[in-house]
Amino acid sequence: MESNDNSKIGSSSSSTEDPNPCPICLAPVVQVSYLDKCFHKFCYNCIVRWTKVVASKQSSLLSSVKCPLCKTENFSIIHGWDGSNFQRHYISQVFGDNFFFSKVHRYRLQCYYTEPGIVSDIFNVLRYWKSRKYLQSNQWLQSWLRREIQALMQEEDVEVVVHHILGVVDSFLKRNDQHRQRETPETKQEEFKALITDAARPFLMARTERFVNEMQLFLASGLNIEAYDAVYMQRLGWNTPQVSHESAEMESSVQTPVVPYLHIFDEDSDEID
Amino acid sequence: MQASRARLFKEYKEVQREKSADPDIQLVCDDSNIFKWTALIKGPSETPFEGGVFQLAFAVPEQYPLQPPQVRFLTKIFHPNVHFKTGEICLDILKNAWSPAWTLQSVCRAIIALMAHPEPDSPLNCDSGNLLRSGDIRGYQSMAKMYTRLAAMPKKG
Repeated sequence: MESNDNSKIGSSSSSTEDPNPCPICLAPVVQVSYLDKCFHKFCYNCIVRWTKVVASKQSSLLSSVKCPLCKTENFSIIHGWDGSNFQRHYISQVFGDNFFFSKVHRYRLQCYYTEPGIVSDIFNVLRYWKSRKYLQSNQWLQSWLRREIQALMQEEDVEVVVHHILGVVDSFLKRNDQHRQRETPETKQEEFKALITDAARPFLMARTERFVNEMQLFLASGLNIEAYDAVYMQRLGWNTPQVSHESAEMESSVQTPVVPYLHIFDEDSDEID
Repeated sequence: MQASRARLFKEYKEVQREKSADPDIQLVCDDSNIFKWTALIKGPSETPFEGGVFQLAFAVPEQYPLQPPQVRFLTKIFHPNVHFKTGEICLDILKNAWSPAWTLQSVCRAIIALMAHPEPDSPLNCDSGNLLRSGDIRGYQSMAKMYTRLAAMPKKG
């Protein structure tokens, strides 16, 4: 290092060299990424490739990676900082071929930045409660919850949260059957909202209210995920074909059969056909 | 392949630029093949290797730096962690403790450190390791010094 200054005088090319290159490729850092504990800086591709190499040598699931520079154990890669947001890439997900956070997750997350109520005229939540449709179980709810919570928490493994919320829904339905025959639909709806809000708030925090509304809209739609997305994105005016194609892939990857369900559109959603 | 070439080229430039940075290491790249390197390292002082110059051969894999380079001594050396016949080196950073932040230059430094601090408990040269493990420091040093003189020093006269 001491000879650095001397050599710079002689060599013109050295003055253009990055003084702080990526330790893996030794070139200027591309797509700046940091390890979450030691905050050493790498190119995104370099550190992901290295993590995959480490994972490939281990028989068990990799949950952390040692920093190539300081050997600190790190659990995630922080990247994509744009001044207000960043993405977090957990080591436990790196060696899977696709990072779970797909375009569909991104679309769902973006929905939470739009004005609420964009589809509430299509899907009538109150009628859902009045007509007691909530008594029929919704076979897509689990997949929908998983994706929604993954998108909001930006984490892949959200099974615990999904099961927690499904459990709350179940116990609500059971208690509802036995004791609350005479309650008005509005009371039931409020009760449901309060229960789900309490269950979800520790995980979703400021996005809880909106999440509960989105969940009710999805339930009220009676649609499968693909059809629901199509309606939602058409209303938002977003490019649908690409994403809905991905959502089909995504559904099959979580082993939910993609049933052509469009013929069971109820009258409220006819207008979108 | 491209990534390893680009990185080796960076190291090559760095070596050219800092030629005098470490007087104990002289790292040269094969003229026709950037994946083949040779290094001359000086035996560390206050060791039986003092005064000797040892030649190392580097074979860099295409996955470098995600995979470590293969390094061996071309110069005969009597050291517990170096195979006496093949020159193979037993050093954790060249195997499972490899990190892509290592460079050929820093690998040379690690090998010099290994020469000064042998690990007799993971020997590739059992004779050498046994001498150290049985506490026969003098025996080890005289053997190592003899081979340094025989193989790593310019012939006198």
